[in-house]
Amino acid sequence: MQTDDLIALMAADDRPVDTGWLRRATWLCALAALMLAALLVLITLGARPDFAHAWLTRPVIAKMLLGASVASIALVLFQRSLRPGLQPGKRLPLVALPILLVVGWAAFTLAQSPAEQWSTLIFGRYWRACLIAVPLYALIPFAILFALARRGAPVDSRLTGACAGLASAGLATVAYSLHCPDDAVPFLATWYTIAIAAIAGLGALVFPRLLRW
Amino acid sequence: MPCDGQDAHSLCEKAQDVSLQELETQLRPLFLAALAGDAAAYRLFLDTISTRLRGYLRQMLARAGRTDASEAEDVLQETLLALHLSRHTYDPASPVTAWAHAIARYKLVDHLRRSGRHADALPLEDEAHQYAGPADSAASEARLDLTRAMAALPERTRSLIDRVKLQGATVAEAAQAAGMTETAAKVAIHRGLQAMAKFLSRRGTRPG
Repeated sequence: MQTDDLIALMAADDRPVDTGWLRRATWLCALAALMLAALLVLITLGARPDFAHAWLTRPVIAKMLLGASVASIALVLFQRSLRPGLQPGKRLPLVALPILLVVGWAAFTLAQSPAEQWSTLIFGRYWRACLIAVPLYALIPFAILFALARRGAPVDSRLTGACAGLASAGLATVAYSLHCPDDAVPFLATWYTIAIAAIAGLGALVFPRLLRW
Repeated sequence: MPCDGQDAHSLCEKAQDVSLQELETQLRPLFLAALAGDAAAYRLFLDTISTRLRGYLRQMLARAGRTDASEAEDVLQETLLALHLSRHTYDPASPVTAWAHAIARYKLVDHLRRSGRHADALPLEDEAHQYAGPADSAASEARLDLTRAMAALPERTRSLIDRVKLQGATVAEAAQAAGMTETAAKVAIHRGLQAMAKFLSRRGTRPG
């Protein structure tokens, strides 16, 4: 077939195209994934026993804000990475901003407390649970965002994967904060950050292998 | 024929030489109209951008030591299909030439990787598309890839595509001949193009 024939054929497929769909779909998918993950946390682990009066305390809000801000920034970049020619990779360091804030806050907390309390502040009671649960619940948004990425045109699938991983871990952080009974900021800065980085790495590894178009 | 009509012709001829900025000014309104459903604007856009991309692809393939014009034509056809099927990924606030070039670059790297060449070894810097392409920008014979991709389509879709492509029928005429509504015919053509793109991206290393 000649290129001219192909062009004639493509011009015949002239139904209007909606360029806003990808953006709307990204936010709707993220919202649905967050609700699904939160529901699953509530069903499988249950809310923390003191949730009724704890949810308005600083530690819980900090967890939710950390997750929500990482997820929001990553979702914007994810959505843009599905559009060729935009090069959103330059803005990826923005994701580090909320994490650095929390790490700074954690360092401040540690500096204020006696050294013998550091271990308790960092490891809390359930650091292993956090390290397992956040990545596990992140798999829900991860799968949904992967399906969405297939509808876009990711020219840098490593970046798309990293953004999808960051967004998924951020959403899982929000969901898991309904259960997580550990409230120390150094705990949050350590284990949540590791969990988020792990899923981002998973995305950067898996997406380039599975996302060909 | 590519670039038929006086305006189209001059625009096409220039596509090789004009600066990226000028090209953007010409193409953006065309593509925005195309997204709204203007087939004539879309046709002109495709004719112009394909001339430009053909030059880019030939130049890049030549740098990789491949001077066979039909190979560039293959990658161009694959790029055009991807462009068509990814129209919804265009951000109306961004330059349409950057969007098209990013897709062409992706398809080129993909092509080189599949045909056993390490794409990393290539000087595929992002600014490369700003250089003018070779003066000879006429279309050349593609290999048989797309024809083979067509053969994999269902009979009904294939005959519909044949009518539009070869006999120059309008979609309305082709639809009537096939006994379907115009919308159904457009959907069928769209699915046919999707299937062709899928076929092309799945085929492995080709001989040669």
